[in-house]
Amino acid sequence: MIRFDNVTKVYGNDVLALERVSMEIGQGEFVFLVGASGSGKSTVVRLILKEIEPSAGTVYVNGRRLSAIPRRQIPRHRRSIGCVFQDFKLLPNKTAAENVAYAMEVTGQRRRAIRTKVPQILELVGLANKMDKYPDQLSGGEQQRVSIARAFVSQPPILIADEPTGNLDPETSVGIMQLLHRINRIGTTVLVATHDKEMVDVMRKRVIALEDGRIVRDRVKGAYLDEV
Amino acid sequence: MRFNLGFFLREAFKNMRLNLLMSVTAATTTFMCILVLGIGMLVNAHVSDIIRSIGERVEITAFFPEDATQQEIRQAREEVQSWPEVRESTYVSKEEALQRFQESLPEIAQNLEDNPLPASIEISLHDPADSQAVADRLVESGYFAREDISYPAQTIDRLNTITGYITWALRGATALFLISSVLLISNAIRLSIFARRKEIEIQKLVGASDNFVRMPFVVEGMVQGLIGSAVAALVVVWLNFFFVDWANRNIPFFPISATAVDTVSTMAILIAVGVIIGVAGSYLSVRRFLKV
Repeated sequence: MIRFDNVTKVYGNDVLALERVSMEIGQGEFVFLVGASGSGKSTVVRLILKEIEPSAGTVYVNGRRLSAIPRRQIPRHRRSIGCVFQDFKLLPNKTAAENVAYAMEVTGQRRRAIRTKVPQILELVGLANKMDKYPDQLSGGEQQRVSIARAFVSQPPILIADEPTGNLDPETSVGIMQLLHRINRIGTTVLVATHDKEMVDVMRKRVIALEDGRIVRDRVKGAYLDEV
Repeated sequence: MRFNLGFFLREAFKNMRLNLLMSVTAATTTFMCILVLGIGMLVNAHVSDIIRSIGERVEITAFFPEDATQQEIRQAREEVQSWPEVRESTYVSKEEALQRFQESLPEIAQNLEDNPLPASIEISLHDPADSQAVADRLVESGYFAREDISYPAQTIDRLNTITGYITWALRGATALFLISSVLLISNAIRLSIFARRKEIEIQKLVGASDNFVRMPFVVEGMVQGLIGSAVAALVVVWLNFFFVDWANRNIPFFPISATAVDTVSTMAILIAVGVIIGVAGSYLSVRRFLKV
């Protein structure tokens, strides 16, 4: 599903963000990507979205080599990856429902399909009664639910969350993680980049640990820190 | 991808409502620029109309010799009328000349025993600049002697020089107005887009193609350009009527005519310029923020 082959990324001339990273994430897996700030988590996410190009090595997503995707096909590539961000990245001028609908509109789906699907998905994330609220009228946890609904509404095979709980309190974070877990159980590959230690320890999922741009650990049922 | 016009229109109008101040700024800038441009066009049209009507008043008068036969006169008239430079030629017979003379100077005319006035042909030209050439041709044609041809050579020369200067000055001013309009309007649009670059980034991350992000902005630019320039065009047309009316009442000796400005095409040009700048401005301005 996602494969990194000896990927190195250097920003500018001398900032080494990733160094010879190789990993493979299979279909339907739930993987935590952990590490301190600056360890290279966000670089991994941005490489998968083809926001940036690797300095060396190859990235494969959904069986395609990303360097072979021309610029004008990037939007289509991104539609196959649902994305959740630490700062939610909701459109401020749109209601919760409109934000979710936008992700369907960019793929050119029919209005009728959008009208039936959007309430369903918002109900799934527990926001059925807040569909018409604007982002600034929602709490952080609610905004993140909207953002997950938006990422998932087109049922992409992959869902990536970059610090999804970074701005949320622990209780709200549990709800968000449960939601991601549910999405994973219906077959979606989920990759969560985080430094939320408690969350990682509780979930007992595969953990890939990054340190200074290198993979230092990859455990199938891991914890944030290596267990002795 | 399916071209979703309804969606783009809804998005554009919603965005304009939400960014009302920015939209109003862009439309107002368009309005001001198109207004100045329109006034430039009015001045241009009226000045050229005045120059044209002064030119029309310039006439060449060729007097027939006393012994010219009816046959010669008729041939001369036909020939003159066939020249391309000639807009209109009028034959004034001896009798008509006397009649005019009696009307203008009745005391002197009373004392005339017979009619000493020659028959003549009065020629007005499309372009007064041709008068020298036409005078030459009249001599060449053999019907007239050089001294029997009269035209205000100096007036015509001066008129031509001034016309040339004015025409170029007006063209230069119009070009400057147009360039500054393009810059001002696209700057206003760029500002409004800059304020929304985060939105563009999010749209791109969710998988929107460049055109999908761009279309609502282009529609917005079009509508803002349309509103700004349509209002400006109406004001320009109103100013024109107002000015012509005022001029006819207060300076009637000045040849200012309501037909100098073609209202419909002026409005069409102004609105087209506004819309084109609006569309091109937003198309190009969004491009800078699409590279996510």
